[in-house]
Amino acid sequence: MLYREAGQFKTSYSADQAMLTIPLDRWFVFALAAFAIVGVPLLASEYLMVSILLPVLILSIAALGLNILTGYCGQLSLGTGAFMAAGAYLAYKIATNITWLPIWVVIPLAGLCAAAIGIAFGLPSLRIKGFYLAVATLAAQFFLLWLFVKVPWFVNDSISGVPPAPPRTVFGFQVTGAAAGDEAKYLFVLAFVIVLAWIARNLARSRIGRSWMAIRDMDIAAELVGIRPLPTKLSAFAISSFYCGVAGALWAMCYINSVEPTAFDINRSFQVLFMVIVGGLGSVLGSFLGAAFIFLLPIFLNSAPGWFGYSVASDTITHIEFMLFGVLIIFFLIVEPHGLARLWQIAKEKLRLWPFPY
Amino acid sequence: MTRPGDILLSVKEISLRFGGVRALTDVSFDIHEGEIFAIIGPNGAGKSSMLNCINGFYHPQEGTITFKGAERRQMRPHEAAAQGISRTFQNIALFKGMTTLENVMTGRMLKMRATLAEQALYFWRGRREEIEHREKVEEVIDFLEIQSIRKTPVGRLPYGLQKRVELARALAAEPELLLLDEPMAGMNVEEKEDMCRFVLSTNHELGTTIALIEHDMGVVMDLSDRVVVLDYGKKLAEGTPDEVRGNQDVIDAYLGVSHD
Ligand SMILES: Nc1ncnc2c1ncn2[C@@H]1O[C@H](COP(=O)(O)OP(=O)(O)O)[C@@H](O)[C@H]1O
Ligand SMILES: [Mg+2]
Repeated sequence: MLYREAGQFKTSYSADQAMLTIPLDRWFVFALAAFAIVGVPLLASEYLMVSILLPVLILSIAALGLNILTGYCGQLSLGTGAFMAAGAYLAYKIATNITWLPIWVVIPLAGLCAAAIGIAFGLPSLRIKGFYLAVATLAAQFFLLWLFVKVPWFVNDSISGVPPAPPRTVFGFQVTGAAAGDEAKYLFVLAFVIVLAWIARNLARSRIGRSWMAIRDMDIAAELVGIRPLPTKLSAFAISSFYCGVAGALWAMCYINSVEPTAFDINRSFQVLFMVIVGGLGSVLGSFLGAAFIFLLPIFLNSAPGWFGYSVASDTITHIEFMLFGVLIIFFLIVEPHGLARLWQIAKEKLRLWPFPY
Repeated sequence: MTRPGDILLSVKEISLRFGGVRALTDVSFDIHEGEIFAIIGPNGAGKSSMLNCINGFYHPQEGTITFKGAERRQMRPHEAAAQGISRTFQNIALFKGMTTLENVMTGRMLKMRATLAEQALYFWRGRREEIEHREKVEEVIDFLEIQSIRKTPVGRLPYGLQKRVELARALAAEPELLLLDEPMAGMNVEEKEDMCRFVLSTNHELGTTIALIEHDMGVVMDLSDRVVVLDYGKKLAEGTPDEVRGNQDVIDAYLGVSHD
């Protein structure tokens, strides 16, 4: 964005309070959304849309969810995969048992179920913090996944245990299952992304967002200004799990087209955690940047040597990938906990006054 | 400058122990509406513990606290906040990752009513409330002259300004009783003068009752209407600054001992 922030003055509090305080920023976001809705389906290849944008968008929702819990409210969680699984399994259960319910209602409903489960596993957060809480959420990860695999009720006693996503339509277009069109799937997921990102941003700048951050920064002082720790933490667990649940449901219904436990194992929890750390703790924009970065890095590493005519053994690439992730995580944790989002902001601040830094 | 108002807060025979340590023993005093009340005493005398009892961080084993006519012994800090008690801490307790504006906005927390849905959609009361309270918060920001650091994360501010932001957060709640734990500790002379001015104008212009802990005897004598002296958790004396200064026990126990 090559425009300047200097010289943009706000004349009322409501203008200053507005979500994106600089008009150009707002136009940029509107333009981006418009392009994502109209431009991408017209221009993008099938590969780009289904194999890249679809998973990145869905993982962005999960990253938003974890960012609410960890970035805004300061409660470390390793149970993201399990809450996504809850969304996926319950979306399947609801969709196949209440077949008349529109799919765009089923998915938020599954999110609500995940939220209820999130609240249950958030209860220990009143007593335990940090590392110990992370271990408690890890228990949730293993317990829930075990439960979904062990209890055939969740998959309607399917023999394989990995049932295909039921085909469902919106406005006559099939949006779930393997037979759904690419554009329809992409737009269906995009609708969730836009609404959920907007809501996350609203929550972050409202009372509830400040309560979360207050609990994160200093819980004793938070009580002092009248914040009750338990309901505040539980609200973060609930809303975070709702986001993860919706992400899990979309992942199963629209991306992998089946309800599969391995898609939601501990690796998924770590992947989303890395997205949040690299993208930026406590940033909506960061959730998107992180999701794109972490998802695309391995793809980039795999194809980059080919562009220059080199061929590198795939296990070497995997090693490089691990090393790069390790370095990045350490860099962002120690040097820049606000992640890519903060680097972006710094770049903008530098540009704002360029070429006169005073 | 004594202005005897009704009793706002009455502390009766408070005793507080931590294991074997007797932090407070049988302490009683009254704070009247509209006054600046100072609690002084050497380090470890139990001054901070007293404030912690008043706003519900500590629960005394014995004694009662009566605020606005209602008696209580136990209370959570958020309940005290809801009743109109705000405070600042000896070691600043700000939300370091949030901006000055966000920190001060948290002071309005208890006055906001928007439901989760209204906040999520930033619609109707969710939006209206943010703007209304922002106006109030801007008044406090102007009052304490911290306009220029509105959007700065408080973790990056110098110590003196952080203390001021903490006062702003407490004032944003429009408290009836404001507890200040060593508001001038660690400040340079200029910052101290500013802070004194703010404490006085809070009391005069906003009419807020203030209970403050302070080491600097000069500051205490200038600011306060009445003083209570604690030593080893016991009340040594109570009265106007002049009365207290003349008290032989106080001279022995406190003024003679140290001037830190
Ligand atoms: N949370 C606590 N746990 C144990 N002892 C405490 C605690 N808080 C205060 N004390 C003890 O109570 C006494 C009074 O402390 P404090 O109220 O901080 O004194 P002051 O503020 O007057 O310097 C000290 O001996 C201190 O060690
Ligand atoms: Mg103290």
